[in-house]
Amino acid sequence: MNKQSGPAAASAPAVQSPSIAVLRDVHFAVDSGKTVFSGLDIEIRRGAVTAIMGPSGTGKTTLLKLITGQVCADRGQVVVDGLDVARLKRKQIFALRRRMGMLFQNGALLTDLDVFENVAFPLREHTRLPERLIRTIVLTKLHAVGLRGAAALYPQQLSGGMGRRVALARAIVMDPEILIYDEPFAGLDPISMGVVLRLIRSLNDALGITSIVVTHDVREISQIADSSFILSEGKVVASGTTAELRDHPSPIVHQFVDGLADGPVPFHYPAADYHEQLLGGTVFA
Amino acid sequence: MITILREFVQSFLTFLERVGLLVRFALRLAAILPTGMLRPRPIIEQVYNTGAMSLVIIMTCGLFIGMVLGLQGYDLLTRFGSEEYLGTATAISLLRELGPVVTALLFAGRAGTALAAELGLMRATDQIAAMEIMAVDPMRRVVLPRFLGGVIAMPLLVSIFIVVALFGAQLVGVEFFGVDSGSYWSQMRSAVELSDIREGLVKGLVFGVACSLIAVYEGYNAVPTAEGVGRATTRTVVISAVVTLILDYILTALML
Repeated sequence: MNKQSGPAAASAPAVQSPSIAVLRDVHFAVDSGKTVFSGLDIEIRRGAVTAIMGPSGTGKTTLLKLITGQVCADRGQVVVDGLDVARLKRKQIFALRRRMGMLFQNGALLTDLDVFENVAFPLREHTRLPERLIRTIVLTKLHAVGLRGAAALYPQQLSGGMGRRVALARAIVMDPEILIYDEPFAGLDPISMGVVLRLIRSLNDALGITSIVVTHDVREISQIADSSFILSEGKVVASGTTAELRDHPSPIVHQFVDGLADGPVPFHYPAADYHEQLLGGTVFA
Repeated sequence: MITILREFVQSFLTFLERVGLLVRFALRLAAILPTGMLRPRPIIEQVYNTGAMSLVIIMTCGLFIGMVLGLQGYDLLTRFGSEEYLGTATAISLLRELGPVVTALLFAGRAGTALAAELGLMRATDQIAAMEIMAVDPMRRVVLPRFLGGVIAMPLLVSIFIVVALFGAQLVGVEFFGVDSGSYWSQMRSAVELSDIREGLVKGLVFGVACSLIAVYEGYNAVPTAEGVGRATTRTVVISAVVTLILDYILTALML
């Protein structure tokens, strides 16, 4: 389907490893100097639905950026399908990305294109398929997410859930090997959430792909994930199946899985003594 | 004193850094220019968006500036008994200076801010990131057509502005004050040289490059927040206006 086959360095290795993405001892800090990862180790199994969870600000989205080559680790190795992402040139990263699909938190649909053209966008950019075939592929993908009838609408006319489903159709239009979801349930009503949840599982099984889902929604993702990782303070604090996480002895895992307001992750942002601040009259101590 | 000096040096270094980033951005655009030209459709769409959509403001302002030139020119020239030179005076001032400069300022306010806001919002809503993930270069797909659209539209807008302004001046000078219509047009035809027209069009092209580049640069590199997009649009207008006037002086000095 691709207009040009990607450079050799970015093509899949002959013998497939059981892991599609491996992060070894990854260290990463943002420009402000804040450490996001300090020795992160994750192995994502091929063909499975893997959930990446953790409190806000633990670097879940940064992890996705490392896998897709949007940012490079300061130290350590990020290997995707046998390729060391840090060593790839821009063209090779683009060739690797052509084998990935990503669903952004807000859909990230192109607002100047209608639904049909949004889904057709990667096909038009990367292939020279005849218009008739593009039409068939796009309608098939839209049908898969239940929005064939919305092909003529513009992103502004869609609800949050519909937008997310159109973005999903766009993410699978090039038949990717890896599908990445960044907070796919954020801001969705229960019906839309259930629809997206079922789509993640059914697309993974029907297309034989690997799904990586970054989410906070423990209860929802536990229904479909094959394995999960919980991140905290720059590392993986727990991994395993949903049942294994539920019985995990770590207090932070217990707090996260049970949704407790206070625990190792404090409810209050670090502040001066409450009484002293109230009596002292200063706003910021 | 040392603090003031340190702040001055810091500001100067920041300024140099920003100029360097803008030059690097321009070089990246230049590098993808040949392949970007192979897809004319998005460029034509952007000529429509930046050019055709600016026509009303350009024509309205052109008409009134021409009428003001007619008023002021007539008042000044009658003092010397030379009102038949009204056409020549307005034509030369419009072709050489007012046409390109005012069009560039209006372009920065109308099309430049629209470009910067559009690109800034695309960044804020992850549309740029989504393209990168889809292995599509946003510089080639989004930035280049918008830049070229502005570059192509500007000389066309300058021409339209000048023509409308000439009719505005004629409306006041000939229709209201009774300057001879034959004198107005024939004096203009005999005095205006090809170099005057060339100067106007060259200025229009250069201002088009500068204003479009500033708009796409500011929008593409906007901080992805509501405040960041607002700042990018404000900077687009301010920097475009200042750069236009500086370039105008340099070009005038070179072409006189």
